[in-house]
Amino acid sequence: MAAVNAELRFEHVSFSYGTVPALRDVSFSLAPGERAALLGRNGAGKSTVLRLVTGLVHPAEGTVSVGDWDTRGRAPESLARRVGSVFQHADQQLFARSLRDDVAFGPRALGLAAAEIARRVDTALAALELTAHAAEHPYDLPPAFRKLAALAGALALEPAVLVLDEPTAGLDRPLRARVARALADSAAAGVVVLVATHDLAFAAEVLERSLVLDRGRVAWDAPLAALLTSSERLAPLGLAPPAGAALSAALDLPGRPVRERDVAHALARVAAARGPV
Amino acid sequence: MARLTLERVSFWYPAMGRPALRDVSLAAAPGEVIALVGNVGAGASTLLLVAADLAPRVVGGKIEGRVNFRGRGKGEGGRGIVLPTPWTQLSGMAFTVWDEVAFGPANLGWPRERIAGAVDRSLAALDIGALAARDPATLSGGELQRVVIAGIIAMEPALLLLDEPTAELDPEGAGLVWRLVRALAGDGCSIVVATSDLDALPEVADRVVWMEDGVVRRIGAPALLAEESVCEAGLATTVADVWRTARLGAPYPLTVAQAERRWRQ
Repeated sequence: MAAVNAELRFEHVSFSYGTVPALRDVSFSLAPGERAALLGRNGAGKSTVLRLVTGLVHPAEGTVSVGDWDTRGRAPESLARRVGSVFQHADQQLFARSLRDDVAFGPRALGLAAAEIARRVDTALAALELTAHAAEHPYDLPPAFRKLAALAGALALEPAVLVLDEPTAGLDRPLRARVARALADSAAAGVVVLVATHDLAFAAEVLERSLVLDRGRVAWDAPLAALLTSSERLAPLGLAPPAGAALSAALDLPGRPVRERDVAHALARVAAARGPV
Repeated sequence: MARLTLERVSFWYPAMGRPALRDVSLAAAPGEVIALVGNVGAGASTLLLVAADLAPRVVGGKIEGRVNFRGRGKGEGGRGIVLPTPWTQLSGMAFTVWDEVAFGPANLGWPRERIAGAVDRSLAALDIGALAARDPATLSGGELQRVVIAGIIAMEPALLLLDEPTAELDPEGAGLVWRLVRALAGDGCSIVVATSDLDALPEVADRVVWMEDGVVRRIGAPALLAEESVCEAGLATTVADVWRTARLGAPYPLTVAQAERRWRQ
């Protein structure tokens, strides 16, 4: 799906809002196809990382690059050729008369041919199961659907890097599952997926790596499963295990699975081995 | 005596043929926490707007049935609603968080000392005393959600209506809001909350209302969130859902603690 594959790289990045420091000496890199959760308390710097990726702000020190592009000196509309983003209140940022037109806005702005725009819009709408709503006015749909539409708009850019801020806030389970599938498909096509979220249950289902920010610094960078199964690691970072991982730990299930389906399978296996519960 | 009563309420948004609520009846007693659960489009947000007297009075549309609210009287907090879009709920009249939280109580015409006391208590309850001097326009999403909740509870409402109050919050913030909900109920406030944080409800809700397509499907104790039909609708707690997927047999445990007890037996 991605037009190009590219690595996302932060090298010694610092950033302040006026005199308030937001990020200090942040370094990490995400390879094509990597799916990472960006975690941490409110105000830890997650949204700032996402703004830096999209070029809405630029580092005071250090470098942010997407493949061979340094974001410095590039405006968001130029970076949009490689970076797709959905911000926290995405349901408020639709403006076209139909869902279809909204999703087409990005590809149109990239100057693509009509047939290519149509192909991308169809693919993106289908990926989020929105095809049936394509002709509807965005504001006739519940906010949760508008949020999905904003994600479809980002997918239609066919970016190398996809950054999302709280994509599941306000979504129910069926809609969360749609987002999860769309992100997994994107990553499989080589897209770097970076999701800032408090929804650790969702993160456990889709994401593999965890970057935790604490007061503007990277406090943890390792596999997500290793983080979620350890209350000792989670608590100082202001995090709590999602119910599936907590169950896995409380029952001491073999391999400490964190995805809900894996927890259920492990539970069934152990229960079968030891007789009726 | 119930503080809020809905009797056979149906509601239509303007220019919509299908009702957003159909024949909904519900009563909230003082000190009670009622959780509304349902998938997107179920009607939980609409029920809150109706209970807040914003629908149809402000949003337009048509209502049938009866809505009755019994407050504590003139000049006292009546109904307060926290919308799922906190950034739309700022007064726009305040340059500091302290003034923002004082906006509601000031409009109730309270004496200065009572306002100051209510604001300081609310900021402390949401653990945002450190933000008091900040410009509300500079806050993060989670900070804003806490400020809006503080502004509503500063008015000491008799009925508190919350729509996804923890959606923007980190786990610490969400835990704080749920503890606050229980504390306010302990002081006699009636609370109706629409939430998708189903795993929090066994410890927070007295009753759970399952909504679907504008209709109340079931009302019951939080144990409802482990019933087969609720699992099928995707509205069970995670533990109940996992237990069911593992085919370990009903009744499914609701919480990690219940699952642990069952497992150790």
